Amino acid sequence: MSGCNEIGLMLGAFEDGELEPHEMQEVAFHLARCQACTAEISGIATIGRELRAIAPAPSLAGFAAKVKTRIDNLPAPLTARISRSISRRFGAIGSGLAWGGAIAAVAAMATLLMTPYAERFTNQYNNAAPTVAMLAHDAARVPDEIAKVLPEAIPADDRATLAGDSQAVILRLESEIPSVAVWNEPRTGTPVIWVPDQQQPQL
Amino acid sequence: MKNPARQNGDEAELIERARSGDSEAFGVLVERYQRRVVGVAMAVVHNEDDALELAQETFVRAFENLSKFESRSSFSTWLYRIAANLAIDFWRREGRRTVLHGEDAEIEIGRMPSPQGDSFKAASRTELSGRLKQALEELTPEHRAVILLREVEGLSYDEISETLQCPRGTVMSRLHYARGRLREILKDIGEN
Repeated sequence: MSGCNEIGLMLGAFEDGELEPHEMQEVAFHLARCQACTAEISGIATIGRELRAIAPAPSLAGFAAKVKTRIDNLPAPLTARISRSISRRFGAIGSGLAWGGAIAAVAAMATLLMTPYAERFTNQYNNAAPTVAMLAHDAARVPDEIAKVLPEAIPADDRATLAGDSQAVILRLESEIPSVAVWNEPRTGTPVIWVPDQQQPQL
Repeated sequence: MKNPARQNGDEAELIERARSGDSEAFGVLVERYQRRVVGVAMAVVHNEDDALELAQETFVRAFENLSKFESRSSFSTWLYRIAANLAIDFWRREGRRTVLHGEDAEIEIGRMPSPQGDSFKAASRTELSGRLKQALEELTPEHRAVILLREVEGLSYDEISETLQCPRGTVMSRLHYARGRLREILKDIGEN
């Protein structure tokens, strides 16, 4: 059985109904035979009553209106501004669809802007080993060299055109020196080696 | 303690609308919780004008930070926590000073026992109120907040714990201390 000191710590929580059921029972048993603790708990209840009696009740007239005025004067968050703008423009479509469109547009724009940089970055790291024997001082013979690696089946005129085709897509660089390129010619699927004539590597 | 899972649909919808910038929806939430939020601020700063200012600031901050509110917790407790933090910061910054102006000052003067007409009972009641107020002023804002949130605002221990961001055990020990301190004062008055 607990004594007054131990029960005293629980009296407030007992009065507040915040004890576990077995603790509530323990305190109740103690109070039934202890006048001091009964007086103590009565004092706790009195404090509560007195505090409620002296608690001021501030007037809330106009409070919500003041808050609303302050909120209405806040700069709108970016997301809300975008949402409102989209709603105005695409009200009938629905903001979900409009948001989807906006996100797709941003993604497409980012892809367009980033692709050249991404390719350059990829090529820089994918082609560390120089595998092309052709050097820049051979640049004068480039069309001939390219023509050599093109299939014999391609007519001579076409081979000359392909060797000088600046529209072909470069797949990878085969040298650390960014002066030699290898690509697949899109029409024939033929690998093409190309050395730009404006670059002269230091040998 | 209010279970967030039981947060009614109406409130969830109001919060969602307020999140997208609907100040009318937020206004409904302000009307719903203004009294309690002012009460929480009052519990700490113990000054009506400051409490009203802090409560306004609480709602503005809540509106600005609605995106950070996670519906796992109760919206009301989230609001009370903002109010308590602002009020405790304010109290620490401004120090404790109670300056009564205008009507408040007149009310306080009116409460003082007058040598002519007041009965002994009325005078001792006024003295009790005055002493209680003084005792509340002497408590730390944390102790004062705990006892006023419990006794005046009727918050549960769990709600107080979440509002003041302290363990439930701390709530219990602060309440025990604050009540003991106030009991001493009441006892003194009873003996005099």
